[in-house]
Amino acid sequence: MDEFVQRLPFLCVISILTASFCLPVLARWKKEFCAPLTALVSGLVFVASFFIAHYVMRGNIIRYGVSGWAPPWGIEIVVDPVTSLMIMLLSGSCFIICIYSFASVKHELERIVTGWYYAAYLLCLAGMIGLVISNDIFNMYVFIEVTGISAVALVASKGTRQATEAALKYLLLATIGSGFILFGIGFIYMITGNLNITFIAMELDPVKDNYPIAIWTTISFLIVGLGVKSAFFPLHLWLPDAHSSAPSSSSAILSALVVKVYIIAFIKILFIAFGLEIFHETFIRQLIILLAVMAMLVGSMFAFVQIELKRRLAYSTVAQIGYIYLGIGLGTPWGLAAGLLHILVHALMKACLFLCAGAIYYQTGRKMVNEFSGMGYKMPITMGAFTVAAFSMVGIPLFGGFISKYGLALGSLEANLSTLILVIILSGLLNATYYFPIIGQAYFALDNPSETHAGSGHHAPKKFQRDQIPLSMLAPIIIFALGIIYLGIFPGTVLNFINQTVAVLL
Amino acid sequence: MNLQIMLLNFPYLVSIFSFCMGTLIVLTQPNLIKKVIGVNIMQSAIFLFYIIVGDVQEGIPPIYDPTLPDAIYVNPLPSCLMLTGIVVGFSITAFALALIVKLYLYYGTISSPNFMKMK
Repeated sequence: MDEFVQRLPFLCVISILTASFCLPVLARWKKEFCAPLTALVSGLVFVASFFIAHYVMRGNIIRYGVSGWAPPWGIEIVVDPVTSLMIMLLSGSCFIICIYSFASVKHELERIVTGWYYAAYLLCLAGMIGLVISNDIFNMYVFIEVTGISAVALVASKGTRQATEAALKYLLLATIGSGFILFGIGFIYMITGNLNITFIAMELDPVKDNYPIAIWTTISFLIVGLGVKSAFFPLHLWLPDAHSSAPSSSSAILSALVVKVYIIAFIKILFIAFGLEIFHETFIRQLIILLAVMAMLVGSMFAFVQIELKRRLAYSTVAQIGYIYLGIGLGTPWGLAAGLLHILVHALMKACLFLCAGAIYYQTGRKMVNEFSGMGYKMPITMGAFTVAAFSMVGIPLFGGFISKYGLALGSLEANLSTLILVIILSGLLNATYYFPIIGQAYFALDNPSETHAGSGHHAPKKFQRDQIPLSMLAPIIIFALGIIYLGIFPGTVLNFINQTVAVLL
Repeated sequence: MNLQIMLLNFPYLVSIFSFCMGTLIVLTQPNLIKKVIGVNIMQSAIFLFYIIVGDVQEGIPPIYDPTLPDAIYVNPLPSCLMLTGIVVGFSITAFALALIVKLYLYYGTISSPNFMKMK
């Protein structure tokens, strides 16, 4: 059994890739089967991820050399607790969002692209899982490209003018990013002669004082490359267009998952390959903290001025990426754990918000935030989930976002940077300024004069109606909302996973 | 002496120079096709960089020769890695050109500043 579990991560990636290449062929025969097959494959991987997590939780770390080649020569797969958690998050979210997409894809996309859409969807999932489990930096680069190109395809699938333009912008900037990453990998290979992260760390340790400028250059290239890919603040220019013009199921995947896996890769390279000494000696740490603070504040301010809901959510992602990078930059046990937890919490929150935005568009066709008055009565369940996710975004206790912000505050105390607590609180308040008006309008706005009973002197009591969207769209939204509440009340299990990895990294 | 080092590392300079050039072209050229050409220049610069990294002075092709027991071989790994890089570059170029064709159908131009005026 253990032997099988060790091969499971590799098998997951291979089976998803196989399925994604079969989908366009299947689509020629029966387009209706594409979505269920995608859900089946991602669901199976989700089940497999529980076995992996169970195995890893017993203190084992999966190290598997692909096709029998030992690590320095072959590609190595390493699954530690956080990686197993990420596999679970990626496959689980993809599974749930896929169920949501049954109805929304029919509504938003042309029928002819269905097969290709789901092929890109699975390819993106395979790329993300491959990226988090790989321990070989060149293999990481390949999966970065797979994820990047299929993510662009997910945006472009809508085929409208805005979506095509955003996709081209995304593609060109992402290519610059991956060029920088490839250059950085080349420098690492030049200094150490290895591509495996564990061996790079071993080779780099004795010689790192001899190549200070080369190491500086390498880290700068990697920060710029992975920063473009993960929309780190001054490099986020592609994100708002791409995430707001994509179909709603794609937006959820892009915003919740795709930008996060690059951060996991960054953490791996920074903390394992380069090690803590370089992290503390160079000024990388200060740079990351500075940019993260700017992201948290400026991203929220940009979000505040947007009037289209999906654009507002997209700018909010820029701000939330800042929180995650802040956790990395702090480099203390609580800070890093909170950053990793925020990857998880933000994935649930942003997926929930984007799915709600898609559901509102599905039922009422409204996209602008000033058209939402009375929405809480027309779509009580959707707006309820939206409220949960928005409260969590602001950081109200009992919701998941509170735990990670609290952790970040503890982390900044540990790092003797107590001013950062002010920034975290300020950013939380800024979040409130652009989420609460939507909620307030949805529940408490007065009726339009034309809708009230003339002459009765008081408003007729508003009645709740059931949401007019299919169950396959409603259930995913509810599941994500429940997940946020679960993480807010019982964060112990997840933090246990994260702390095991953080103890190894720091 | 510095000049000698410069000459020895000349390929690196070419690689860095064309990388900067390619990035500049992508970011500043308004014409979308030129942007794609810039991406290609940038990627070729990286391929060049990798191939120089694998080069060993006075090295022979990396095919095992029993008659030369202490021969120095060049490092074949970076060149092999770049095969993957070339495939990735090819697919990105193809995808970008397809998107540009689609934008041309929408706007009737491939110059990106004109898009702003047409909105």
